[in-house]
Amino acid sequence: MDITRQVEQLLKQGRVDIFLGYKELYGHLIPHGYTLDNLEELENLKVSQHRYSLEKVATHLVEKKPDLKIGIIARDCNQRALNILYTWNQLNPENIETLGVNCCPSKTRKHGDCSYLEPKKTGEFKKENGIDFNAEPEAFMAEFDNPERFSHWMYEFNKCIKCYGCRNVCPVCFCPECSLENPDLVEPGSLPPEVPIFHLIRATHMAGRCVDCGLCEDACPAEIPLRFLYRQMNQIVGDVFGYAPGEGIEKSPFTIIGDKVTLEPKPMDV
Amino acid sequence: MNCKFVPSVCSYCGTGCGVLFEVIDGKINATLPLKSHPVNQGKLCIKGWNLHEYINSFMRLKGPLVKEAGRFQKATWDEAVNHAAKNFNRIKADHGPDSIGVLVSAKVTNEENYLAQKLARAAIRTNNVDHCARL
Repeated sequence: MDITRQVEQLLKQGRVDIFLGYKELYGHLIPHGYTLDNLEELENLKVSQHRYSLEKVATHLVEKKPDLKIGIIARDCNQRALNILYTWNQLNPENIETLGVNCCPSKTRKHGDCSYLEPKKTGEFKKENGIDFNAEPEAFMAEFDNPERFSHWMYEFNKCIKCYGCRNVCPVCFCPECSLENPDLVEPGSLPPEVPIFHLIRATHMAGRCVDCGLCEDACPAEIPLRFLYRQMNQIVGDVFGYAPGEGIEKSPFTIIGDKVTLEPKPMDV
Repeated sequence: MNCKFVPSVCSYCGTGCGVLFEVIDGKINATLPLKSHPVNQGKLCIKGWNLHEYINSFMRLKGPLVKEAGRFQKATWDEAVNHAAKNFNRIKADHGPDSIGVLVSAKVTNEENYLAQKLARAAIRTNNVDHCARL
């Protein structure tokens, strides 16, 4: 059965109230919410080469109407992000139906998940002064010593225009209060942001959460190799806790925090 | 519950980045970069990412206001345009056409910019036309 009929069935059987898929509009493939009210639109249902964070849209919908049943076109990366959102109680798995589709087309793999996406091209200057998008962490570590690596990362971080795009596009960023907007941690209004602290705050918050979908790197106007950074971060999480974010819906090792606070809260020095 | 996405062009500067508005139940809820747009290729600056905020802002001006007795009062478009035209005519008569300048904008279309300069040159009769990017 093709995907259009499957979605039709889901809607008609009442298993989902709204189905998030894609449609073509003015030559652009954009996300769209299909419902029973606009069933005739369903003929336009497409699978997009462009990836949008549909699960993030689902969290926005649930904010407005908590018991809404949502269907989602899901690639592997969507599915991994959904698992994280289930783990952190942002979405209820009972209210979500997914229809699996092929991953982004890739030359390296016919059906690859996002980690196997066709590698981005890196310019010569960036290779020399910054970090190659496709660098192997081990090779990078072996090639440069500590100060050199630091200067390469600083070259990348200094390009940041503080658009907050990496956070805004991230499917697993859902905190109502973001540390990146805390004036005690990140000074508002200064550009470039305080490097490397700005990026390292985000990197630490990606520990145990980042599903390596690559949306942040796609959205970064400064071409900072964010996946490299977050992958390295989660390498540590994997080594210490044996936890791979998004692979299942078991409890994250980071949920321990919050059960019991052992530290006395105290005001920050200004 | 209704959720749709509306492609548009960012209204902040003249670059013309493609944006996608996430509209939930008729209200713009978020802004996303349009991935397939040739100009910004799925990237946005901080202003573009927050484009929906001014649309939903309670401070947004939704109709013309005319200043009377030092305070802004709600007015109809006819009243506002007549008020502006009357005062432009008065300034032009008292101080000459070159006492008025017209600033056009990167945010509006070419055609609207053309009309603005036409207003300046043909109606007001001044060559004081400039662009907001040179402010």
